[in-house]
Formats: sequence, structure tokens, C-alpha cells
Amino acid sequence: MQLNEDAIRQIVVDVLSGMSDQGGNSETKSYSPDRSGNMVLRETGRASEGRDNDEVVIAIGPAFGNKLSKTMTEVSHSEILREVMAGIEEEGVKARIVKNYVTADVGFMGHQAAQISGSGIGIGLQSKGTILIHQKDLNPLANLELFPQAPLVDLPTYRQIGKNAARYAKGENPEPVTTKNDQMARPKYQAISAVLYNKEVKYLDPNKKVVEIEVEFK
Amino acid sequence: MKRSKRFEILDERPVHQDGFIKEWPEAGLIAMEGPEDPKPSVHIENGKIVELDGKKREDFDMLDQFIADHTLDVDIIEDVMAQDSRELAHKIVDVNVSRDAVKRLGLGMTPAKVVEVIGHMNVVEMMFAVQKMRARKTPSNQCHVTNVKDHPALLAADAAEAALRGFDELETTVGIVRYAPSNAISIMVGGQTGRGGVLTQCAVEEAMELEMGMRGFTAYAETVSVYGTEQVFVDGDDTPWSKSFLASGYASRGLKMRYTSGTGSEAEMGFADGKSMLYLEARCLYMTKGAGVQGIQNGSISCVGVPGAVPSGVRAMLAENLIAMILDLECASGNDQTFTHSRTRRTARMLMQFLPGTDFIFSGYSAVPNYDNMFAGSTHDVDDYDDYLTLQRDLKVNGGLVPVDEEDVIKIRNKGAKALQAVFKELGMPDITDEEVEAATYAHGSKDMPDRDVREDFRGIEDMLNRGTTGVAIVQALEKNGFEDVAENFFNLLKQRIAGDYLHTSAIFDENFHCISAVNDQNDYAGPGTGYRVPDELWEKLKNIRFARDPEDIGE
Repeated sequence: MQLNEDAIRQIVVDVLSGMSDQGGNSETKSYSPDRSGNMVLRETGRASEGRDNDEVVIAIGPAFGNKLSKTMTEVSHSEILREVMAGIEEEGVKARIVKNYVTADVGFMGHQAAQISGSGIGIGLQSKGTILIHQKDLNPLANLELFPQAPLVDLPTYRQIGKNAARYAKGENPEPVTTKNDQMARPKYQAISAVLYNKEVKYLDPNKKVVEIEVEFK
Repeated sequence: MKRSKRFEILDERPVHQDGFIKEWPEAGLIAMEGPEDPKPSVHIENGKIVELDGKKREDFDMLDQFIADHTLDVDIIEDVMAQDSRELAHKIVDVNVSRDAVKRLGLGMTPAKVVEVIGHMNVVEMMFAVQKMRARKTPSNQCHVTNVKDHPALLAADAAEAALRGFDELETTVGIVRYAPSNAISIMVGGQTGRGGVLTQCAVEEAMELEMGMRGFTAYAETVSVYGTEQVFVDGDDTPWSKSFLASGYASRGLKMRYTSGTGSEAEMGFADGKSMLYLEARCLYMTKGAGVQGIQNGSISCVGVPGAVPSGVRAMLAENLIAMILDLECASGNDQTFTHSRTRRTARMLMQFLPGTDFIFSGYSAVPNYDNMFAGSTHDVDDYDDYLTLQRDLKVNGGLVPVDEEDVIKIRNKGAKALQAVFKELGMPDITDEEVEAATYAHGSKDMPDRDVREDFRGIEDMLNRGTTGVAIVQALEKNGFEDVAENFFNLLKQRIAGDYLHTSAIFDENFHCISAVNDQNDYAGPGTGYRVPDELWEKLKNIRFARDPEDIGE
């Protein structure tokens, strides 16, 4: 492992902040900026490796938020991202957004996000609404929590998923978010899901790799 | 617009809950006859295929290469490819052209050719061809045995009942992954209690599935998936060669196995290369044949909502079964996953396999209530048993089930749960209490069962695995506790992997462990009065559904 000056400085800051944070870092700091309106995504260049261990990286699919705007149950991408970010921030952890142009597979997106996340915790979020929480050291096809039946995930659940990701980032071991199961989700949504996923992969662009996203709600 | 009351009622019908879409060929959301499907072609130089379906060898992807080098028969292919596709379709349907003759044509057609040939058929012709082309003469059926709680006593009782009802293969999977060995053992003990010789398997991640097979906790394997485009194969972390290696792992230890594929998976995973679902499935089937695997589970399977949503999708599912049969593969023909809210649609879809008969009409009829089905629900479940038995009786069709008495079912469920109770005790697993046995005996599903201590179960499973437990310990446990007949059945099943007879295509066992396969029970259908006919003895059973009244008793 190579350590440059910045990295060492960050470690020192982390250690010091940990020392002052006497009771461990499990307590919830309620911080959630007001985000109303629709989001605007701005790409600000190649995504970098995070050094803050108090961040969770959310990797959104290549079409998320600008090429496509709604999931298969017609929930707006703005609302979903707002809730996931709020969930993370409620736990006093920062949410960093990246867009993955290399893969639109939710597992690989989440795994990649975890690789560049300072905390080692990442979230993969597809345009169709499928979401998972991943950890740096896990096999790409594994995960911490997966919500395969996206049509059954409502906004409070997205927020809870953000919260749980933040708690993993803090080194806690939260109760997994309750998953719902409905065998009739398949006949209702499987083909719609295939349509959305095929629209998403059209925007893959391996040359762009993974880019940093600045998100503004207005 | 003022709404028509008729249209308002129609809008409320269950079929309106299904998610139908129009075709989108560029994304592969087209069932058959895709505009971008390649035109059939083949060119051979020095005994080697150098062009396949319009592609030169230097442009082959790994599936093309595998199929060209390992599946197709270069000695006949130029001759077969030169034949008119409509003529070939006629031969497949014609009762005067033998199954053997058609089987030879299979390896002389490229994937694009076989799809073109099948494209000439309507579903009645396809069903007719399935009747002639399936490998085993006697049709059969497979079921799912699972529950939300992974409750071992309930699994054993359900497996015992399923075996008694006539299923020849029983398949389980898990709610929570760590229960896999417990579930596998539970249905194997229950299954051998219900009827000696039923085959059982546990569908989980491939390495775990293989290990359980090696230990003797399962008798076959099925969930080894193959895909029709290179990208989707790679996304699954696999190649045709790695899948072939896994298949030979099972074969070398004498365990039956088949692959799984099905229309819609490539479109679902976003990389259909603009090809129709059936063309991509044909590639899977030719790959399977090239790997030397005896059979396939197909008929869309878990992606069934995708072909189910587009025009001719249900026809494509039958077409893919037929292609498997033309390639002389055992075919466990789907009908195993909920794909519609409509009772009419699910029955219509099932009749495509039920009427002509296949090696396994369902590759999972739900032998548990669908709320307990951990394969995400099947098209038919325990609550449909009497409807299904009635269809067999109405049409004189052997759909793989026999009528049973309530008392016999209660008895066998109780015995299955008790046998497992004894096995758990001897293996040092957490107790199955008498209350749990009682509940499992009379249960409809897991809602009628007490909860298990999940952590204790995990500890027990881990200890049991760490001690190197194999099927032999289960045989000993059964024998020691007075379940000699179950012990003997279990032991017989373990012995089969040394005999190897059930590695032949389409193998099942009867209650005396006689192997019935495409070798000694060849499908010899050649028109009316030939091939499989419901035997008189079985027909007597099928006629006697328990809710038919005897005329003698009426009015007296």
C-alpha cells in the first residue's frame, strides 16, 4: 500500500476525531439538508478514491436521473436519491454520488462504489429502482443487503437502506432492512424491468468510466 | 369518453394485472422470428466449420466456437442445411419419419436453421412433434418442496406426500442460504419415505450444490445455468468450458445432472444483441449438447415474465422444449414459475406440455402452497391438485400424478417427519419435537408450523458439516431407529451413483429402483396406437378421483 502525504494527514484527522468522539460513533446525528424540487446532475470528472471514512458512495446507473427519470413503478429518480441521501446523512455520514458508465449491473455497480468509498461501503442504484448495499471486501456477486424486487421498495424503505449503509460505514452491524416478497411482482413487472434495463445499458460508455456527480435539487 | 360497462369489467380481470409489452426487437424483446436473427449458413474447410450462421470463424464468439467444434456433426451438416426448412419441419411432425431419423437431423442444423424450421410450425404441430420427439416414452413430473421457514419437519412431510402423489423428482431451495444442507437432507429422507426411488435435489449456489451432491444429501442437480450471448455468460462469471467442467464433476461422481436455460434471460440481462429469444435459447441448447450433458430444464423458467409479455411468447416456450428434444436432450419443460395473474393463461400455457407429455411436464409443480414456494411461486400448487387430477381424468392423460386418500397422506406425512426427527437426533442436529411432527403431519403450509430457533439450527448444521457427515450416517440413523424401509431406500439411492444407470438420458426410478430412461424406455411414437398409452392399471387409478360419486349410492 502506498501512503502519500494527504492520506497520512487524513488518517491523523480520523484518529483525532475518533478520540474526541468518546462514546463511539454509533449515535445518530440528525443532519438532513432540505432538498425540495427536482434534482439536477452535473458530471465533474473522473471519480476519485475517497479518503474520508465517513462517506458512503452511491453509484447510479448510466441513465439514472437524466436519460431516464422514473422507475418501473413510476417513482421519480429525484425522490429516490433524495431519500437514500437523507438516510445516509441522518446517521451523520456523507453521501457521495458517482455515475457508473462501465456496468449497469447493480451488483458490480455497488461493488465498484465500495472500492472507491472511503468507508468501504457502497450502494448500487439502477434506473429501474433496484438497489443494494455492498462492501469493499466482498465478492462482486455477494452483497450486504439486496432488494431484488424493486417494485416493492417504497420511499421510506429507500431512506432506511441509506441509513443502514451509513451504519455499516460506521462499523455497526444493523438489522437488515425488512424485504418484501410478492410472487405476483414477476408477471406484473418483469418485462417492464427488461425494457428499462435495456434502455439503461444503451448509455453505457466504457471510455467515460466512473464519474463524480454533483447533485443539486431545485 | 363515457365508459362502456363491459370494458370497465374487462379492465378489472386478472389478466390486466399482467405486464404486457409490445415487441422491441433491438433489445431482444421479441420471442421468435427476430428481424436481426442470422440467416442459416455453414461452410466447412478441411473438416472444420469455418462459417456458422453468417459469421466467419475469426468473428466467432465463444458460443459459436463451442458449438462449431463440439456440437455440430460436420459429416452431415452440409446435406441437412441444404434441405428446405419447411421440408425439415414436415419431417419433424410426420409420423412416418422416425424419432431416430429426426434426431440425426438435429446435429446437422445450425441454431439459426433449427429456429427457422420450428418457425414454420404452429403450436398444435409443435405439440405433435413433442409427443414424438421427447426422449423417454413414459411422461413424468417434478415438484418443488420448500417453505418460508425452511422448517425441516414440514419439508420432510411435504416431500413424503409429494412422492406418494407420484412426482418422480423433488426439488428444494432455501429461504436462508445456510439452511441448504438441512433442506436437502429433509426432502431426501421425506422423499424416500413417500416412495423409494424418487430423485431429490437442492438448488443453491453451484459450489454448495456440488458439495451436497458429493456428500450424498442430493441425488441430482439442475441449477447449472447457461446463456445465449457471450456477454451474459461473462456477467455470470462463466464460459461454456467452465460449465462443461462442472457438468463433468457431477458425471465423474455418478450423479445425474442437467443444465438450465430459457428464453428471456439475455433480454432481461440487457445483452440480447438484438436477437430473438428463441434464437438465443437455441444457442444454449446446442452448447448444452456439445458439453455432453444429458438434459436441460427450459421453457423460460425464471425469466418467464419476459417472453410471457410479448406476442408468441408462450409458443416460443413450447418451441424451446421441442428443440431440446430434437437434440435428444432430456427436457424438464418449465411451467414452474408464476407468469400470470390469469388462471386461464396459466392452464393454457401448461396444456402445451401436459397434452403431448414431456420428460418432466413441470420443472417444479408446487407441492407446497405457493406462499411457501421459495422459487418465487409456481404456476400450479397444492390447492390445484384436484383440478389437475380432473384434467388427467377428463382427457385420459398421464400428467404424473395419481389420486390419493387423505388417510394415506396423513400417515405418510407423519412417517416422513418422524424419520427425519430420528435422523436429526442421530446427527446431533437441534431436536425436532413431537409437537413439530404433529403440526407437520396435518399442516397446509408453514403458517401452521411453530418457528424454529434459527441460530441453533445454523449451529447444528455447521457442526454436522464439520464432522464430515455423509449420506451413510443418515442411512445408519434411519436403520437404528426402526425406519429400515426408509434406510434401505436411502441406501439404494446412494448406490446408484456407483451403478451409473441413471446418468443415461431422462432417467428416473420406479419404486423398485428399476431405472427408466431413454435407453430402456425409448419413445417409439409412430402414430395412433403407438408410443405411450396410459396403461389400464394406471387408468383405473386416474379415473377414481375421490370426489366422483358412485351411481349405485345416488338416491339410495
